[in-house]
Order: sequence, then C-alpha cells, then structure tokens
Amino acid sequence: MRSFRYLVKEGFKNVWSNRLMSVASIGVLVAVMVLIGAAILLSVNVDMMLNTLQEQNVVMVYTVDKATEAQAREAFSKVQKISNVASAEFVTQEDGVKSLINDMGDQYKELFEFVDDGDQKGSWLPFGMRVSFKDLKKFDETISEIKKIENIDHVNDQRELTAKIVNIRNLVNSAGLIIIGLLFITALVIIANTIKITMHTRKLEISIMKAVGATNHFIRTPFVIEGILLGLISAIISTLATYGLYTVVANKVTSMSVSVVPFMSVLWIVIGVFLVLGVITGCIGSIISIGKYLRKEGSEFRAF
Amino acid sequence: MHKGKQGIIIRKEAFELEMGQPVIEFDGVTKTYQKGMHALNDVNIKIHKGEFVFVVGRSGAGKSTFIKLIMREETPNTGDIYVNGYNLSKMRRRDIPYFRRSMGIVFQDFRLIPTMNVFDNVAFSLRVVGASNREIKRRVAQVLSMVDLGSRARAYPRELSGGEQQRVGLARALINNPALIIADEPTGNVDPNMSYEIVELLTEINRRGTTVVMVTHEHQLVRDFNRRVIMLENGRVVADNLEGAME
Repeated sequence: MRSFRYLVKEGFKNVWSNRLMSVASIGVLVAVMVLIGAAILLSVNVDMMLNTLQEQNVVMVYTVDKATEAQAREAFSKVQKISNVASAEFVTQEDGVKSLINDMGDQYKELFEFVDDGDQKGSWLPFGMRVSFKDLKKFDETISEIKKIENIDHVNDQRELTAKIVNIRNLVNSAGLIIIGLLFITALVIIANTIKITMHTRKLEISIMKAVGATNHFIRTPFVIEGILLGLISAIISTLATYGLYTVVANKVTSMSVSVVPFMSVLWIVIGVFLVLGVITGCIGSIISIGKYLRKEGSEFRAF
Repeated sequence: MHKGKQGIIIRKEAFELEMGQPVIEFDGVTKTYQKGMHALNDVNIKIHKGEFVFVVGRSGAGKSTFIKLIMREETPNTGDIYVNGYNLSKMRRRDIPYFRRSMGIVFQDFRLIPTMNVFDNVAFSLRVVGASNREIKRRVAQVLSMVDLGSRARAYPRELSGGEQQRVGLARALINNPALIIADEPTGNVDPNMSYEIVELLTEINRRGTTVVMVTHEHQLVRDFNRRVIMLENGRVVADNLEGAME
C-alpha cells in the first residue's frame, strides 16, 4: 500500500514532468474521443428518428368499395380487437375526401364534388382506418390478420420507408463501429508512444531501479498510472468538448425543425464510453510499451 | 519471503549461507559472446564472507563480464555461479529483483538521478523494497552520516563534487544493509585524493562485515591498500593474490 501511494505519486509526476508530450497526447486523444462521441451521437439520433417514425408508422386499412358504413364499422371493431393493434381510428368517406383535398390541393375540390353521389361526400371512396401497431416485429402477421377480416380490401403500409431507414441505421452503426475500432487503435498507439518517451527520459531511473532490486511490477506501475491518467483527463475534456459541439450542431438542426436527442439524456453513455476508453487505452498502451522496454533495454542497466 | 530487519522484503534464503560457503563462487565459468570471443574462460574464483577483493585487468580483460555475471545480468555458457547463497544459473527471472536486494552496487558514473536530491537518491533503494517513510528517514540519515554527507541531504547532484556524488552512490548501495558490495571502478570519475577517501570508506564498510568486491584499474590504489587482488587477462584469472586477503 505504501509503495502503491508512492507509485501513484510518481505516475502523476510523470504526467507533469513530461507535460509537453502529455498535452500533445491528450490533444490527440481528445480528438479521437470527440470523433467517437460524434459517431455515438449520430447513431443515437438515427435510432431516435427511426423510433419516432416507427411510432408514427400508421398503416391505412381500406374496406371493399361496396361495404356499407355498418359493415365497415363492424370490420373496424374487429381490427381494434387484434392484440398487436396499438390504436385505430375510423375514417369516414367524408374525412377521406377532406384528407385527399388536403393532400392534393383545393383545385381538385370541384372534381371530387362532381363525382360525389348527391350530398353524400366521398361515396366513391372506401371507408378507411388508421391503424398503428404495438410491436413492429409482428408487422406481417398483424397485416395478414387484418386482411382476413370480412370486407377489408387492402392495407397501405410504409414498409419500404421503414426498411430504408433500418438500412441507414445499420450502416451508421457498422460504420460507427469500424471508425471507433480504428480510432481506438490510434489512441492506443498514441498512448504507447507517449509512455515510451517518458520511459526514455527516465531510462536512468529505470536502470537504477533494476540494479537495486525493483520488481518489474514496481517499475511498470507509475507508467500505467500515467497512461490511465492521460486517458482520464482526455475523457473529461472530451465530454465537455462533445457537449459544446453537440449543443452548437443541435441548435442549428433544431432550427430546421428536426428534433434531436438532448445531450443530457446520453450524457452518461458518452462519459461511460470515454472513461472506459481512456482507462483501457491508457492501461493497455502503457503495458505494451513498458513490456517491450523492460524486455529489451531495461535489462541493460549498467553503463560499461 | 519475509520482512528483514528494516521491514524490507527479502527472500529468506538470501543471507543464509552455509558455514564456509563463499559469498561469491565461480565454478568453471565460461562466457562467450556472439562474436565467438571468450569474455571469461574457465574462471574459478571463491570470495568468502568479510573479504575485500580488488579485481584488476586491462580494458577487455573480462572485468565487466565478471560483474554482469555476479549481478545476474548475464548468464554463463558453462559453469556455475553462486552469489549470496543463490545459484544464479538456476535462478528464475522473477527472483532476480529479490536477489539484487541482497547486494549494493556502486557505479563508476555515480548514476544519481539529477532531479532528486541526495536524500531521495538514497531513499530510492528503500522505496523500491517497500520500506515505510519512518524507516526511510531513519536509515537515510544514518547512512548519510556514515558517508559524512548528513548536512547535504537537500542538495542536488549537480551541486556536489565528484567525490561527494560517489559517496551518495555509496550511501545508496549501503542503505539496504547488503551482505555484499560490488563497486565498479568507483574511483574512475573522482580526483586522486577523493579516490583514497572512497576506498577508505569501503574498507570501513568491509571492517563491519560486508564483503566488498571492487573492480579497478588504478594499480597504485591497489598497492596502497594491500588486499586480495584477482587479476584478469583475456578472460582468465592470471593472478590471485590470496595473501592480501589474509592481512
């Protein structure tokens, strides 16, 4: 324990006495982590967009043309009873016309009135239902269940759009993972190099340590602590930098009426990833260089 | 493993030499480097507890290899080496640090850490072995006064003369109370007057029971101190003046 306290102090001293190199490696590590943060945030946002879309994923169910309102309402109540249906809304023929005019423009209003059968607006349209699902995985089953109901003609769904978005999300996630992997290796190399430089500057100390009987563990610990410390400092700075950058980007995007995930809701994920990344890269990076060093140069401790 | 007198972690067997067993024994040791050159060739040496031995020889005679082998920095191609009761040929890598704690080494170029003051340079060896701060303070003060540097504890190496720096090196070697001191040309970088002072200090340490092996090429010094002299030439022991040791 006594030794450990001393070694931790030595680790802190390493960072300080080698401050130029420490600042450089923290700088590069922060850049790496911010990029990783950006990849995470992009993925989280695409996920949210997809979820929102899925939540809004309303399918339109239409009755056969000849169905009466009573028959349509009967079919509607059957649709409502399907267990995977989250909500269902009956669309009368009149509402259907309104919605068509809304979508196509007022210039079609007269045309629609012309085809109307007397006062009954939209009589040429089938009855409709706006239906949303609880579990999208059971999408196909639910659709076929609906189709089996009497007087139901067809279902308009947005499967293609959903599939496209899912593809995009998968692409973003896998690209994100590859980028994170590559950046992680970069971070490792950076830390390993910094530690290697510290070790060169403390070559004399290491050689004396070996001569007076220090174990490899004793020699290694301050460098591992230095690596972890560099990782931790980088993680803290990266969290703040990512927060700042995200806020700027989010403000711009929000002004274009696109909603984004608030940073605070992913704060712990970002901090967690950065801290774990910092500690792991620090630890592994320093162990790699000190291990190499102790095997080779560390044993030649005497200057004959 | 157990805690030694100063709370220092050592291996139990380190100081337990059998009766009459030499502190250092080279038994038919040959060391050949890659170029095929014999650095040491069939060397047989026994150095007993309490001896003060000079190892002399020209450059390339094998003095450096001799010390490297004692410190288990190199291993022999043939033959066995025993130091402080350890058989170095059979030693596991992880035992090397514990073995090295049983000896103190003094370097020609002092090897003091420039960013540490005298106190910390000496304390360094104790920290490595996990001594407590109280123990460190007590031992460092004691050893610094032994080498007459009690008042320079806060000075940095650059503020000291060559002789003073070597005394700090000596204090560092002594701090763990080793059974054996290896001094590699300790007077090589100090002025002649100071050289005598250094060897006198080593003699005093030896008088207290510590075995001292000093590698040197200063023949005058060797003559003046009249101790056992082992002379190496082309990797062989060409003279071993055991009589010196008897005095």
